Formats: sequence, C-alpha cells, structure tokens
Amino acid sequence: MSRYGRTGQLVRLNLRRDRFRILMWILILAALMASVAWKFEGIYGTPTEINAIKGTLASPGIVAMFGAFSFSGKVTTAEIFANEMLLFMGLIQVVMNLALSVHATRAEEDLGITELVRAHAVGTLAPLSAAAIELVLVNGLLGLLYGAGLTAANMPGATIQGNWLIGIGLAAAGLLFGMLGLLTAQVADHSSSATGLAYTLFGLSYLAQMVTDVQHPKLTWWSPLGWVEKLAPYNNPTWLPVWLSLGLALILLAIAFWANSHRDLGVGAITTRPGRKQASVFLRGPISLIWRRQRNVLIGWLVGIIIFGAAYGTVFNTIGDILKTNPTMQQVFGATMVHEANHSILVSFTALLAVVMAAVAVIPGMQLILKLHTDETRGWLEALYARPLSRTRLLFSYVGTAFVTSTLAYIGGLAGIVVMGDASLTHVKDGISASEFWQAAAAQLPEIWVFLALSVLLVGCWPRLKSLSWAYLALGFVSVYMGSLLKLPGWVKNLTPAGWMPRVPIHDVNWTTFSWMVSLALVLILIGWMGYRRRDLHMS
Amino acid sequence: MTTNPVLQITHLQKKFGHFQALKDITFDVHPGEVFGFIGPNGAGKSTTIRVLLGIIRASGGSASIFGQNVWHDSVKIHQRLAYVPGDVYLWPNLTGGEIIDLLLKMNGTDHTEKTDELIKRFGLDPTKKARTYSKGNRQKVALIAAFSQDADFYIFDEPTSGLDPLNERIFQEAVLDLKARGKAVLLSSHILSEVERMCDRIGIIREGQIIETGSLAEMRHLTRTMITVTLGDDFDVTTLAGVHGVTAGHQPQEWQFAVEDAQLKAVMATLAQHDIVALQSTPPTLEDLFMHYYTGKE
Repeated sequence: MSRYGRTGQLVRLNLRRDRFRILMWILILAALMASVAWKFEGIYGTPTEINAIKGTLASPGIVAMFGAFSFSGKVTTAEIFANEMLLFMGLIQVVMNLALSVHATRAEEDLGITELVRAHAVGTLAPLSAAAIELVLVNGLLGLLYGAGLTAANMPGATIQGNWLIGIGLAAAGLLFGMLGLLTAQVADHSSSATGLAYTLFGLSYLAQMVTDVQHPKLTWWSPLGWVEKLAPYNNPTWLPVWLSLGLALILLAIAFWANSHRDLGVGAITTRPGRKQASVFLRGPISLIWRRQRNVLIGWLVGIIIFGAAYGTVFNTIGDILKTNPTMQQVFGATMVHEANHSILVSFTALLAVVMAAVAVIPGMQLILKLHTDETRGWLEALYARPLSRTRLLFSYVGTAFVTSTLAYIGGLAGIVVMGDASLTHVKDGISASEFWQAAAAQLPEIWVFLALSVLLVGCWPRLKSLSWAYLALGFVSVYMGSLLKLPGWVKNLTPAGWMPRVPIHDVNWTTFSWMVSLALVLILIGWMGYRRRDLHMS
Repeated sequence: MTTNPVLQITHLQKKFGHFQALKDITFDVHPGEVFGFIGPNGAGKSTTIRVLLGIIRASGGSASIFGQNVWHDSVKIHQRLAYVPGDVYLWPNLTGGEIIDLLLKMNGTDHTEKTDELIKRFGLDPTKKARTYSKGNRQKVALIAAFSQDADFYIFDEPTSGLDPLNERIFQEAVLDLKARGKAVLLSSHILSEVERMCDRIGIIREGQIIETGSLAEMRHLTRTMITVTLGDDFDVTTLAGVHGVTAGHQPQEWQFAVEDAQLKAVMATLAQHDIVALQSTPPTLEDLFMHYYTGKE
C-alpha cells in the first residue's frame, strides 16, 4: 500500500462531508462576482461616470482598502470593475480556503476521525493529499465560474484573456492560502492554534500589501496577497502573479507533506504545554472562565485591530498634505485654506475607515455571544449549569464580555488610526481632534451594539438561526463598504444598523438616532434574556 | 422511612415536540441512600437527570430536591448538589487542576487536602490540558470535583463508563463513604454489578416510564430462582409444577432449572423426598431481572 493509497476515496468522502459548506461558498462568491459584473455597465458605463469614480479610486482611503491600480489611457468599465472587485473577492476567497483547509485536516484529527480512517488500509499521507485535492477542485471550479461568468457579463473593455486571468489568478491566490492552511495544520497541534497561526500570516500579508499600496506600490510584490492586484487583467494582463502563487503553493504543500510524514498522529511542532496544577485566584466564575479560555483570542483581536488602525494611520502624512501633489496651491489659496483642505481629506478618510473598523470590531463580540450556544451544545456548560449559577448570570457573563470586547476593539482601532495618524503629520492641527475622535466613536458604537444585541436575541430565543447574525453583519458590511462604489439604492444601506447613522466626523452625531438605536439594542437583549431563561438547553 | 426525601419525583413528563421522552416517572431518594437508576440507552435516564438539574423544563408532573422546585429554585438547589455527567466535556485549553478548582470555587468551596488526596488516589495528572485527556481522565476530573465538594445530594450519570477496574473500585468506595455520612446518591448506570453492589433501592426505567422500584431483595421475589440439583434417584424434574427451562446437567441425575418464587416451597419439599446429593441455588442477578423486564424472558 503506497503512502497515498485510497486518496481518491478520501477525496470523495471529503467532498461529501463538506458539500453544503462548499456549495454555499461557491454560490455566494460566484454569484457576487457575476452579478456585480452584470450590473457594472449600468453603474459605470459612460466616460463621465468612469472619470468621476477614477478620482475616488485614486484617493488614499480607497487605495488602502481596495488596492492600488494604475490606469493609463482611456479607462474602461472593466478596468474599474477589476479595481473594485479583485482584492475584495481575493480576501473572501482566502477566508474560505483557510476555513476549508484546517477543517479538512487538523479539525478532523482533533475529533479522532483521522485515527479512525488511518486504522483502515489508507496511506499515511492520503488524508493530507485528499485535502489538497479538495482545495484544488474547489478553487478550480470557482476560477472556471468566474471566467465563464465574466465572459457572459461581457463588460465594455473586458477581454477574454482578462476574464480568465481574473478567474485563474483568484483561484491561484486562494489555493496559495489554502496550502498555507494545510501547512499550519501540520505545524500546530490543534485546530484553533492552526487557524490562529494561518490568520496571523494572512494578516501580516494584508498589512504589508496595504501599507505598500499607499506608499510604494512597487513593493507590494513582496506580499503574496498583493499579487492579486498585479494581475492588472484589463489594462496590462500579467501572468507572473499566477505562476508565483502556484509556485509558492507547491512549496508550502511540499513542506506540509514533509512535516506530515515526520510526525505522529495528533501532535505538532508547536505542542500544548502542561499548565498550572491549581487554578489562579482570579479564576473563580463564569467571566474569569471566559477570559481564561479566550484570552489569547481576545488579546489577539485587540492588538490586531490597533495595529491595523495604526497602519492606516501611517498614511495620514501622505494623504493629508495636498502640497505634496499640488505645490502651487499654497500660493493660490493661502496657508489657512490649505490646512482646511488637508483636514477635510483626513476627516473623510477617517469616516470611511471608521465604518470598516466598526464592522470588524463586531466580529469578536459576536463570536463570544454565539459561543454561549456552541458551548451549550458541546456540553461544556453542563458542568456550569449544575453549579449554583443562574442562567441570567451566565448569559450576561458572555454578553457583557462581548460588549466590552467589541467596544474596546472599536475604540482601540479608531484610536490606532487617529493617534498614529496625527503623530505622523508635520502640521498636527490638520489632523483629527480629540472631540472629532469621540464623535466618531459615539457614532458607530450603537451600530455595534445593535448587531451584538441581535445575536443575543437569536441565541436566547432561536439558537438554530444564530448564523443569521453573520449573514446580517456581512450584508451590513457589504452595503456600506461597497454601497457607494456599486451605487446601491439607499434602502439597501438602511437594511442594517450600519447605514442608520450619518457618516461621522464628516457630519455630527445625530443624538436622536443614537438614543433609539441604543434603546433598540436594549430591547433585543431583554427579549433574548427572557427567551434564554425559559427555553430548554440542548446537550449533545 | 421517617426522614424527608431529598429527591421527590411525581408523574414527571417531558415532551420534545411530538416525542414523549418521559411518560411517567415517579420515585424518591432519601438521605443515606444510594438509589440505582437503570435502563437501556434512550430510555430517558439522562433526560430525567437534566430535568432535575433545571437544564430542561418538565412538561408535566413535579420534581423537587430538598423540597424546592427543580426549575424555579435551581440555583438554591445547586448549592447543595454535586453532579457528574455521563459524557464529560472540559474546556480544552484549561488544565485538569484548573477545572477542578474552578468548579469547586463556583460552589463556594476551595481546593482542600481532600482534593489533593482524591487527585492522588485516582492517579490524575492535573497539569495536563484537558484537550489531551482520555475519556477516563475527563471523568476523573469531574469525579474529583464532585467528591471534594461537601454536598447533600450527589447525581452520577454513568460515571464509570471510561474508568479502569481499579478506579471503578475507588469510585465505589467513595460512594459508600458518602452513604455512610448520610448523603443521598442517585446513580444512573449500565454496569449492573456496580448497581447491585452499591444501591439500596433501584428504579428501572423503560421507554420513559418507571416500571419497577424497590430493593433488589423485593424485586427478586417477582422472578425465579435458578436451582442446580443432583438427586439420588432417577426422579424426572420436568413433572414438577412451576419449573421452567429444565436442562440435564453434566452428571447423571443432575438438573438445572428455574423456579417461580411462589412455587419454591412446594418444589423444595418434593425434591427433599428424592435423596438430594447436592444443591445449589442462585438468586437472580440484576442482569436476570433486567432481561426479565426488557425482553419478558429470563
């Protein structure tokens, strides 16, 4: 029996096991790409529309989020499309690949399924090969759908080569990070550690890409994630990024195979160390238990979001100084006008990023609230329920921690932008003032709280529907993040709390909106709490 | 019994949608008593226990512990209760030692010398992360936490299914010690020899209904005694009334059969007239009783 024996059977098993997961990802991603392409001529069809958006896309805030692309000559609809969609789709596809790869390898091993499989006449490297083939199939299929979908949409300026370059380029980028997931799954000794490691590397790669985009786009070649931008499918089709991605993917896979064949089942290079013999004095109730279990994740989020904020902040001096691009302005308008102009650029940059920060800050809190139900079904709470501990206390331990985490994450991220940004300015008064900072903080917090409160409602009353909270957050994020670029109608933005508050600090905080959003959050929590006290708890 | 029961369940019912998981559960547990709760998988043992813990809400009937309602007063009840679930799930990134201490603190007690002694007796390494524990070791963590707690009522849901025989014995000793100290114990188990050895009274559950409660001695009267006898003459045992499943033994004139308890006296009197050389009577084991109730056969 070769070391790869019965890989084929395992591939079929994997595809069957993950069929809903894969189907959902493929449907959402392919539909998103194709439908935006389909609609795009209507949005940016005329030269006037294209010229208007061209200026926006060159603005630093948008470059930080969507990547730097160079336009030359007459810009077409397809070029605008590639600029707005490539990096965005690439990021989602990376998330998909990291989830699938760790799930197919280390998570199965944690559950003892790999042990069961390996006890049969199956090659030692077959589970890993099967996972790799699964990823190739999924990414390949997505690439095909992208290529075919874009060709069918037939945007003005699109070329067959460009369409397929997008499909194959994104597939290669996705595969690269999928292989990274397979490698971290071999290195770490349990799945959450493997996921954490993979996301750290992904985050670094994103950070490198973002900072270089704003400052020296040539250096973006050093970030694997940046290769996606370098495809330039419709103005200067480049196949080099595809080869780079595939080459690096192969190298990562080879290392993963080497690591897999040099280790025992169930262990990894980064091992779980023994810990304390007795609990510390701080570990004494549900809140300290959540902290003890989740502290690495929570600290990781806080530090990560502050670093991201600070990274966005470093571009303040590049963007907040009009004189750099237009030295004659001071002579024409005078110093005061120039400073005002600088300030207003920074204000709108901050307002745009605040929306992104808010959506990201919701994630750790939402995870914690949904964890209350995950822990319940996994039986981890059974030992707690048998203690003199009321459901109310348990629920509010999770919910309280979640609200504090998200609030701190948001304020931390925003502070990262503003503090780092102001510090990088030569003329500090152009920057964001303390009162503008707190206005921006106050404007987005109710939105964060409403999203979290909705999760409390679902976990309390209809725990089976809890994944809806992710879908709703995603809708909110896409509607404000892509809303103006895709010219979505106003009612789409108003579907979620992300669109209810006017952009601050461009506008002032609307305290009426603030109050009723906070009240809504409280009501949702109250109903969720009543539901949680009444319902049966589910045990495995 | 003159004392107030610690646990009192009357006509308890639980529906999950259309499925009636518990139809009619009635039994009591008194202080100083070990009550064995037996039945096959899916009969409703764990569901009953979860109602008692206030994790799920009864659809009918009533259940009280220390005279307090299990749903409304669960927090008060749990101050004096210890519980070990059948499948122990532990937070994977905490060590066994941390989990034991945390569980104790949440009951307002602390890590004592007794805890250390239990850790030593059960042979648990408390510095390992729970992720790396085997099933038996996870059960030990829950058992150590429960036994170091000074509760008045202990609920064990199949606590020994992952333990080796040595640890099983340590568990049994610890339960008997609880009993000697006047604590009440509800022990749900599949291991019938364990129940037989430790329990004062037994409740048998089938398809959501308690079909029999009582002491083992009382239950034995409802079934048959196994007899192996060697006779001095060639009397044909099959002619006796109330005798079942007669087989010839290994020796000539050796017989094996089961006697209904009501006919035991008459059968013995007849056999005595036929020159008994050797006689062995075996009371029905709990396993026989169990089979009797579940399959209708002996």
